[in-house]
Amino acid sequence: MSNVVIDIDNVSFNYGAVPVLEDVSLKIYEDEFIGIIGPNASGKSTLLKLILGLLAPTKGVISKYNHAGKKLSNYIGYVPQHSSFARDFPVTVGEVVMMGHVNSGSRLFRYKKGEIELAKQVMHKLEIDNIEKRQVGELSGGQLQRVLIARALVCEPEILILDEPTSNVDMRVEEDIFALLKNHSEHMTVIVVSHDIAFISGYVDRVACLNRTLVCHNTESISGKMIEELYDAPVKMIHHHH
Amino acid sequence: MNEFITALTEYTFLQNAIFACLLASIGCGVIGSYVVVKKISFLTGGIAHSVLAGMGMAYFYHASPIMGAIIAALTSSVLIGWINLRWKEHEDVLIAAFWSAGMAIGILFLSRTPGYNVDLMSYLFGNILLITRSNLLLMFLLDLVVLVVVFIYYKQFLVSVFDEEFARLRGINTEFFYILLLCLISITIVILIQLVGLIMVIALLTLPAAIANQYVTSLHKMFLLSALICAVISVAGVAMSFGPDLPTGSVIVLTACCAYFSSIVLKHVVSKR
Repeated sequence: MSNVVIDIDNVSFNYGAVPVLEDVSLKIYEDEFIGIIGPNASGKSTLLKLILGLLAPTKGVISKYNHAGKKLSNYIGYVPQHSSFARDFPVTVGEVVMMGHVNSGSRLFRYKKGEIELAKQVMHKLEIDNIEKRQVGELSGGQLQRVLIARALVCEPEILILDEPTSNVDMRVEEDIFALLKNHSEHMTVIVVSHDIAFISGYVDRVACLNRTLVCHNTESISGKMIEELYDAPVKMIHHHH
Repeated sequence: MNEFITALTEYTFLQNAIFACLLASIGCGVIGSYVVVKKISFLTGGIAHSVLAGMGMAYFYHASPIMGAIIAALTSSVLIGWINLRWKEHEDVLIAAFWSAGMAIGILFLSRTPGYNVDLMSYLFGNILLITRSNLLLMFLLDLVVLVVVFIYYKQFLVSVFDEEFARLRGINTEFFYILLLCLISITIVILIQLVGLIMVIALLTLPAAIANQYVTSLHKMFLLSALICAVISVAGVAMSFGPDLPTGSVIVLTACCAYFSSIVLKHVVSKR
């Protein structure tokens, strides 16, 4: 493996008196595809928000390397769980994707030629160029997820972070999305949070299992025992062949 | 209707009223759209009612009530916004407190002002037929402020209203834009108060935009369509109230409500087919 891009060092986080994460240490390397898995309320989304800088750790440090002097927004692309906005918002697919270009220095209505060009390329790659003029409320779960991924890619990130990217889509779309991410992980670090342990293990290079503390993080393959430890119940393992 | 058109050519006060409707529609279309998509109509109502504090004080100190309104509206929007950002879980109670405290302060000052002023009723319930040239000029200037700010920061407003978390990750100061938006709302409230009064201002800041929201795919189209709807509704309200000599503000508000309910029913019927 090459350079460490994110170094999570002994990080704890509490919501009030409730501990959500305890002593989590994890190194994430350049261009790897890492999955963070764990049951509901295991602190997965909190860990993502800490990495993104939306929350500050109660204890410990998160360092991001090799990007000295660059602002956070320039190299981390984020795909939220898509329940975060109103579906009847009057905005088209194209406009949402273009939002990836907006920063604190943007002014007026117009976008630059290069920005429009990049957005078109990304939309083409994600096969959403044919729905560019549609309002976001008319999209299926899979389409919306692609739109949000496109918006994150338009930021030209070096690290792409996704929170449960396949929670509202069917199996076939889920496979498409992970194949796409696998493809992108060749030239950027991809971090995916999921509760779907069996599915994710077929795609990612490495899995970090989280349940308040980090249970394991060096696995090449996941054993049944680890899952039992994590979920506190026997889980049937399904093997995927790709 | 003919009677109204004849009167329109004869009386300057009617011409002023129509100009006022058109000027108010600009602010109403743009800012009303933000109020609707961000779902902050209750907050907007709170700011509108707290304006009475400023007006009451202005009466007491013999200052311009409309200047009092502008200062009170801006003050309360900055305060509500700032407290709300730090105390989000109490938002609705906070608004209720501002809403009633503003009214209470206004009434206290008014009760100590010798001779209850008739003008005040027109600020509470609106009296578009009393609008003067200088009122129109002020409305025009306030519209200009709103349009220029929205024009410059359109992208940041769009991103922070649509997805605040994403906006923060892009390095946009969402708290600044939230409070700036509340200030623009308070300016628009002052524009609209002259039309329908502060009690009913909320109708014009929500209903035309909510109608428009059902037919557009983009925010800037929503601005245009809701401004157009607001213009039609308010001019129609003036025309309908003129003949039978009804209070104009009330007729405008009821027209807006009828238009809103009709548009929902229409949409429902069309989508069922």
